Parts: sequence; structure tokens; C-alpha cells
Amino acid sequence: MNPSSSKQASGRSVLLPGDKLEADQKAGSGTFRRDGESHAAVLGFPSESSGYVNVHPLAGRYSPRVGDKVIAICVETGPSLWRMDIGAFQNSMLHHSETDWKVDFGDTASFIGIGDAALAEVYMVDGSGSHQVTLKKDDCRKLYAGTIARISPPRVSRVIGKQGTMITLIREKTGCRIQVGQNGFVWIDGEPEQIARAQKAVETISREATSRGLTEKIEKLLE
Amino acid sequence: MAGGNSDIKFIKKGKRLDGRKPDELRKVRIEVGVLNRADGSCYLEWGNNKVYAGVFGPIECHPRHKQQQDRAIVQARYTMAPFSVNDRKRPGYDRRSSEISYIISQALERVVMVEQFPRAAIRVDMQVVEAHAGTRCAALTAASVALADAGIPMRDIIPSCAAGKVSDTVVLDLNKEEDNYGQADLPLAIVPSTGEVVLLQLDGHLTPDEFEQAFDMAYKGCMDIYEIQRAALADRYGGSA
Repeated sequence: MNPSSSKQASGRSVLLPGDKLEADQKAGSGTFRRDGESHAAVLGFPSESSGYVNVHPLAGRYSPRVGDKVIAICVETGPSLWRMDIGAFQNSMLHHSETDWKVDFGDTASFIGIGDAALAEVYMVDGSGSHQVTLKKDDCRKLYAGTIARISPPRVSRVIGKQGTMITLIREKTGCRIQVGQNGFVWIDGEPEQIARAQKAVETISREATSRGLTEKIEKLLE
Repeated sequence: MAGGNSDIKFIKKGKRLDGRKPDELRKVRIEVGVLNRADGSCYLEWGNNKVYAGVFGPIECHPRHKQQQDRAIVQARYTMAPFSVNDRKRPGYDRRSSEISYIISQALERVVMVEQFPRAAIRVDMQVVEAHAGTRCAALTAASVALADAGIPMRDIIPSCAAGKVSDTVVLDLNKEEDNYGQADLPLAIVPSTGEVVLLQLDGHLTPDEFEQAFDMAYKGCMDIYEIQRAALADRYGGSA
């Protein structure tokens, strides 16, 4: 049942849910064990690190990790906290004590209203999957103006590029301010026409993340 | 409706009305990732059946009283388009589609790792665009491919296939005429890696021997469908399975 060959240039073959992994490897993320054997749980490519085999999903929603910078959108305000959409399967909590503002009880909405966005950092993820974000870290702040494009989280690294080359290219060619959240939300602010161009570039990268010569293609798109 | 008596001769010279052998599947074609708005999607053609499946999630479960504190729920929704059948179908949800939605949800919850997403919902929407018998199997087959495409953790991909009885012969994968005027219909869905049965229904009458035979035939049909599902997913993601 295990894929043996691959059409991919990298030589790796895609694993499907339920595929058996190599017998002598420990099951890492994206895997599960049944009858003493490890299997892939998600559709993705396997990679080995310190004796564990992890299967990296090729699709799917964002799963929060502590330390990730994300773009969060407020969906609900409570008396002392905000509930933020970060694209995960549960909304994230932002407590007023995790901001630099002095927020009076019941006055949260005058700082961040529903629909407002912020660049935040995930600082807690617990076993049941609940998570909280904070604004008390470097660069974290409320985001004013601009627009938010949404891309598939596994494609985020491609939008940023090696050492940030791709995102720098888009910033230089459009003159926009861009923040890419690890959750696949991309905040873009600048001249309206430039925002549209930057957004198109970001979405193109996400859609064609697996194709070759992407940098040249984006350069051409932004000429 | 299977289980009736009919004087139609369904099998002539060992061939069925549409030219298939008794244990032959209709042509199945699966395309992955056809919808841009959904997290995962699938288009499936099974003979003359045409089905779209789209997956959203895991997302926060609404209404909140349906949330489970320790796991996600799979909210499958099967619908038929008004133009999917000969007599225009009255659009919307009805008894039949709510039953099928329920059994598909139950089947999918067996393989989806629901315990990883407490209080969440995984929405699976299936739209039958053209119906020609066996749409519940087609919809479930499409739904599990769409779930894999959505990157949702699963123990396996579920294939589904029916067997039945026409003109006192057990046959695989009934077409519309065989389903409407045949003697029995036995839809089956399995978890290929463990052999678990996650959907089994029977409409009509079968003797114990015929049941065994039909079950084995449908099981084999499921395994063939499983290979097609795997090939479609591998094709989409540039690997080989």
C-alpha cells in the first residue's frame, strides 16, 4: 500500500491518510499508531527529525503553535477579553492584560471592535486545543486600514520565500506594507491599486506554490 | 424501489442491460480540488451519477448546543438538485436526504480523528447533480476524498459500493433500472485497512447465501473504488499511490 515511486522531482512521494510508515521510525505529528504500526493521518509528505517521522499536511486549516505571529480578526468582545479569529478550528482569546492598553472593565470594544485586525503572537496552546494570543510581543499591534488576503497556511512559507526574498520582492514592487501571518492571513496596506496588485501576487503564489520558476513569474506579474 | 417483482429480464447471455458483467463496476472518475471556496472538494462521476462534495472545517460548531466537549462532530449534508432526476425533485431537505446525511456522518466519524478538535464541526456538503442509482455510495465516496483533500486527519479513506439482486442473480453496482425494478439493493462502505463496516443497508430480500455473496461482491467493489480514490488524490498532489 505504501507508495514506492513518485512523479515528483524531489523524489518524495505523497502519503495518503492511512498509509503505513517505515516500521523502524517513531510516529510524530500527522501520524497515528494502530496495532503497533505507524500510519499517516493526513495527506502530505513525510520528513524525519530526531528519530521521529512527521507528515506535513499539504492542505488544511491553521493549527496554532506557540510563538507563531498571526493576523487575528476580532469576532466577539467580552467585558475583559476579545475573541479573535485566527483561522484555527476554535477562536482564540486575547485577554486585556495581554495588551499595552489600560482597558476598563466592559470597555474592550473601544480598543478593538468586531472586524478589527491585529498582528498577534500565539502564546498559549493547551491540550484541548484552546489557545490565546498576545499583543505584548515584538511588532505586535492593532492593524489600521489595509486589507486582508487569505491563503492556505501550508503555502505561507512559499509566500515569504527563502530568507524573505519573495515577500521583499512584492513589497518593493508595490510599495505596500505587508505582514504575513503564519495562519495564512496576509495584511496589505498601501495605495489602492498597489494593494490589488500585491493581493493578486500573494494569491497567485498560494495557488501555484508547487510550480517551478515562481519568482520569475511573480516578477513578471508585478512589472 | 428494490424488492418488487418484475418480469424484466435483466441478464441476457451473461450480460446486464448496460452490457456489464454481473461483477463489473460502472465507470468511475474522480477529480480532486474542483471548488475554490471549500477547504477540500471532489467531483465524482459514477456511471451517470454526478456528485460534488465540499468540505469546510474544522470550524467552530454552530449552533453551540451541538458542540461536543471532547470531540468534533461531522456534519454531513446530502442534497439532490431538482434537475438530478426525471421527475423534478422538490428542492430542499426531505426524509430521504436527512437519513442519508445521518448515515454518512456516522460513517465518516469512524475515520476522521474527531478527538483532535474538541467543540468543532467538520462540514461536508454533497450535491447530487445527476442521479442514476447508488448516489449514497457515490456521495460518501466523494465526501471521503474531499476530506482528505481538506487536510483533515483521518485513519483511512472510506470507499463505498453497492451490490444487489436482479433476475435472481447477485450483481455489483446496480444501475437505475436494476435499482428500480430489481429484487434487492445492498449499499456497503468499509474502512479498507481494518475491514470495518461503516455503512450497511439492505432494501429488498436476500437469502443468507445470497447476502454472503452480495456482501463479498460489494466488499471487492469497495476495494476497487478505494484504488480509484487513491489514484485521484495522488494525481492531484503529484505523487503516486
